[in-house]
Amino acid sequence: MSLICLKDVRKVYHVDKEKIVALGRINITIEPREICCVLGTSGSGKSTLLNMMAGLEKATKGSILIDGKDVTNFSEKQWALFRQKNIGFVFQSYNLMPTMTAVENVAMPLMFKGMSKNERVKRAVHMLKIVNLGDRLLHKPTQMSGGQQQRVGIARAFIARPKIVFADEPTGNLDSRTSREVMEIMVAMAKKYHETLIIVTHDREIAKYADRVITIHDGSVQSDVRNLSVNSGVNEEELSS
Amino acid sequence: MKWKDMLSMALGNLFKRKVRTLLTVMGVVIGTCAIVVMMSFGIGIKQSMETMMQNMGDLTVITINNESQTPDSAALDDKTLEQVKTIKDVVAVTPVFYLDPSAVTIKSRKYSYQGMIYGVSMSALKEFGYQAETGTLPAEGAPETTILFGKDAEYDFIDSQKSSNNMIFPQADKNGKMPDPYVSALTDKFQAEINLPQDSTAKTKPIKLQCVGTLVEDWGKNPSPSHSVFMDVAFAKQLRDKYNKLNNIKKDPNKKDGYDSASVKVASVEAVPDAEKAIQDMGFSTYSMESVRKPLEEQMRTIQMILGGLGAISLLVAALGITNTMIMSIYERTREIGIMKVLGCVVRNIRTMFLVEAGAIGFMGGAIGIAQSYAISFLINTLYAAQNAGGGDAMGAAAGGGAAAQISIIPVWLALGALVFSTMVGLVSGFHPANRAVKISALTAIKQE
Repeated sequence: MSLICLKDVRKVYHVDKEKIVALGRINITIEPREICCVLGTSGSGKSTLLNMMAGLEKATKGSILIDGKDVTNFSEKQWALFRQKNIGFVFQSYNLMPTMTAVENVAMPLMFKGMSKNERVKRAVHMLKIVNLGDRLLHKPTQMSGGQQQRVGIARAFIARPKIVFADEPTGNLDSRTSREVMEIMVAMAKKYHETLIIVTHDREIAKYADRVITIHDGSVQSDVRNLSVNSGVNEEELSS
Repeated sequence: MKWKDMLSMALGNLFKRKVRTLLTVMGVVIGTCAIVVMMSFGIGIKQSMETMMQNMGDLTVITINNESQTPDSAALDDKTLEQVKTIKDVVAVTPVFYLDPSAVTIKSRKYSYQGMIYGVSMSALKEFGYQAETGTLPAEGAPETTILFGKDAEYDFIDSQKSSNNMIFPQADKNGKMPDPYVSALTDKFQAEINLPQDSTAKTKPIKLQCVGTLVEDWGKNPSPSHSVFMDVAFAKQLRDKYNKLNNIKKDPNKKDGYDSASVKVASVEAVPDAEKAIQDMGFSTYSMESVRKPLEEQMRTIQMILGGLGAISLLVAALGITNTMIMSIYERTREIGIMKVLGCVVRNIRTMFLVEAGAIGFMGGAIGIAQSYAISFLINTLYAAQNAGGGDAMGAAAGGGAAAQISIIPVWLALGALVFSTMVGLVSGFHPANRAVKISALTAIKQE
């Protein structure tokens, strides 16, 4: 069974009586454990696609199934609970809580789930060690570099073991070296935990890390290619040590 | 999300904005203080008024007055009083029968008493709050010849063998010591003698009396136990009848056989108006402290409302402060709220966190405000007492006890009420901002740079 299934999804924005079609009739299915890259230029509609799959925007038409559930008409509360269990997020601008330490930031999704403090801190520390931030546990975001902040963001996205992790331009604010680091960690982590990773980007370099590249142009799928020569960078054994 | 986590996040947010939180809390402190101190004045003044009125008369006693009776008016007799006893909340009833001093003389050795004698229901005295200064109140089933002395009745005995300088006055000497009266209520033997006309040759047998004690003086009571002797009403009526017979006094055909007045004790101050109304409906004129208390109480309530209202204005301003602070904080935290939503925080939890923050401001302000109010109240009372001791303020003296009079009283209910109220004000002020926080779109919030 496919994990995500978009059927005839359409998104139209109304700006001052003018209709702007952001996405028109998208049909995509994404299998479990796929590392999928949605590639497109700015304004192509790729972010809208991601937002709809994560429940941040509602589709104008069509239906979305995730893990066999029809989430098209989920209420805000249903989405919140669904995201708690099934979805992790990595953002371009990291979106860490400025007043919280790295551990607190990483542990936050578990707090929303209602996990006890001891348990979630233990897990957060473990996650931070995996992303090589064992020495930055109690630092606040402002005391960390962009790459470090994004690694905190990755730890946060994966801590609750979601089925899907969405990454919206995860390297957009990083230099190329740090970008590579971040991508490698993210892909390795997704493989390690057998998770589905959906990366939205405009950067063709990033597409190299994916098993599948979906190119979006002007609101429709232009190409959908399986990438067999994946360069996953760091391998799992190295990470788990 | 756990309650503990919501609480610690909310309080953590308050703590991170120390100065702003402090200023907002101070607003609530001032508001709470204003209300509590103002209301404490109202309560203090009301309480001293009540003590003052209690000195004027028992608040729960209704006096039935029947002196100006006409042939048409209802008779205030035993049957009527039995009816009065059945009125709701009436605890005790006693007739007040005034035995003419010229009818009976109470004697002990060569000393005699020709003062006021009241016939009352001896068994009801306790209910009316009469207290024995020496001896005891009559026990249940005491003989009808049992009598009680008023506070100064002992001093009303005169030496019947002397024509002048035959009294001892109840006045303390230079050393503050009271002179001993001729007779002692508890140790002397007393007897009643019916007075006869000068030319009468009839002989009367003195009736032995048992005096069981003297009463504590209380001018607020009817009849008042001072220069008077109390005896059972039936016995007093017997004495009167004997006197009338021996002196050939005929009954006035126009005058009904009833008492001039009676006292009715009611269970509580609140029950007085209804009971009084019921008695009036029976055709009697009545008097109670209610007629004084009620307008005074209404006046007090108005004063309290005005004072409380003044305080409420400052708390209202504080409430606006809370709302403002919370709205500001939401603007600052729009992005954080968005992140929380995207990461799966349920809307209800976000609302709760904001309400907790606002409520905490109200609660802290209330708690500090109450503590400060107690301090202010203490200060005011101390200053007031000091001023009173010097000047001898009229109201302080009237309030009874003088030294114990406080113009600012904060009862526990006021303190707790203020705490609950200030917390409520916080919650209500936070309601709008919390709803606003909830409505923030997660998408726009996280896109915000």
